[in-house]
Amino acid sequence: MLILGIDTSCDDTSAAIVEDGCRIVSNVVSSQNEIHTKYGGIVPELASRRHIEMIWPVVKETMDKAGTNFKDISAIAVTHGPGLIGSLLVGVCFAKSISYSQKIPMVAVNHLEGHMISIFLENTPEFPFIGLVVSGGHTSIYLVEGFGQYTEIGRTRDDAAGEAYDKVAKLLGFGYPGGPIIDKLASEGNPEAIAFPRSTLKESHDFSFSGLKTSVLNYTKKHPDAKKEDIAASFQEAVVDVLVNRVIEVAEIKGVKEVVLSGGVAANSGLRERISQITSEKGMKAYLPSLHLCTDNAAMVAAVGFHLFNRGEVANYSLNPRAYLPLGSADGQP
Amino acid sequence: MKLQSKSEAETRDIGRRIGKRLKRGNVVCLYGDLGAGKTTMVKGIASALGISERDITSASYTIIAEYNAGVTFYHIDLYRLAPEQVPDLGLHEYLGSDGISVIEWAERAEGEVPDDSIRVRLNHKEEDLREIEIRGMEV
Repeated sequence: MLILGIDTSCDDTSAAIVEDGCRIVSNVVSSQNEIHTKYGGIVPELASRRHIEMIWPVVKETMDKAGTNFKDISAIAVTHGPGLIGSLLVGVCFAKSISYSQKIPMVAVNHLEGHMISIFLENTPEFPFIGLVVSGGHTSIYLVEGFGQYTEIGRTRDDAAGEAYDKVAKLLGFGYPGGPIIDKLASEGNPEAIAFPRSTLKESHDFSFSGLKTSVLNYTKKHPDAKKEDIAASFQEAVVDVLVNRVIEVAEIKGVKEVVLSGGVAANSGLRERISQITSEKGMKAYLPSLHLCTDNAAMVAAVGFHLFNRGEVANYSLNPRAYLPLGSADGQP
Repeated sequence: MKLQSKSEAETRDIGRRIGKRLKRGNVVCLYGDLGAGKTTMVKGIASALGISERDITSASYTIIAEYNAGVTFYHIDLYRLAPEQVPDLGLHEYLGSDGISVIEWAERAEGEVPDDSIRVRLNHKEEDLREIEIRGMEV
């Protein structure tokens, strides 16, 4: 069964065709980074205008690469949230019009669920597992007991981890996106040079990265000549410590042996190395998607779409995008 | 009026005092550098309106976050925008509504905010000391 996935939640226009929820037939991502680099981040109005220009060429390229046409597609899966509202609107309207004109059912996908199960495009972790979605817009940890069965255990109270990377990169005088820049710089610095704070919130599994950002700012003001490599390495060490410790802590509390990372920050080399090392020491297993599946893509959206369609959860044409769209139920008992 | 804050908790508390005095249609402009405590203050303002502080996170990515708490609360963060980008956002739809809006990095929307906005400037003086200047309201 072939599903066409479409994602325009943020700055990338992406379309993909996935077979049976696990095999990528084609996956095209058109990044807008070159446009947004100039502005140090995502500019919503520019993003939605660019999505409008890109969506049809990207979908067409995906179909051509897969050698399919619309009559081969069983369902269209489209991200309807969370994300930038103007950007989401482009994908949702496009999916509706294709669905209507070609008489193909449409399913509405939560972008976070896409990240959560992106690993199934390459691997097959066993349920239940602990899933960490960590990106520029999100830092949330879930207990995943099956497709569509997510319990939120914790989330950021302020900045997302990827946002902290972007803001720290900017205050060190670098561009956007900050993640790859800091990651590279960190590999040349001393992670123990500066003891930045590790924020742990009491009686909760939530995250907080705002204080870390402020602490980096204070440090750069006091030590204008400090080596940027050392600041980057020490900052990254603090982020990785907080993320990895929390994942392991939650896995141990829930008695779960498998953990799955996803989202743009899951492409970070320091994070990948540490989670692999610690899980293997503890007799656990970490699953990490390939780098191109960590960042936003429509293959993960098509994968979720397959399961939604099989469960009969088809969307109708009153579907609207939602900027804020939490995933799963909340866990009152951390 | 000028106040001092020596901690996140004090900044949130000043936010709560501002929040309690807000009425429908009010606009609060926040000014201050990265790390000055703007989002912390938004948490305080929102909690006075009955919104959970935990639900208020940085809006840098989504730019505009909307909450319903009897009155509609708009948390707007212009960090990523250049001033010439702001007119495209259609801010007047939020600022002219009967909801309550709080704008971080409001200097980037100077032409668009109403003249009677409440203006709060957060100055990061030392590591744990912020000077908070409030205009247009006594708290």
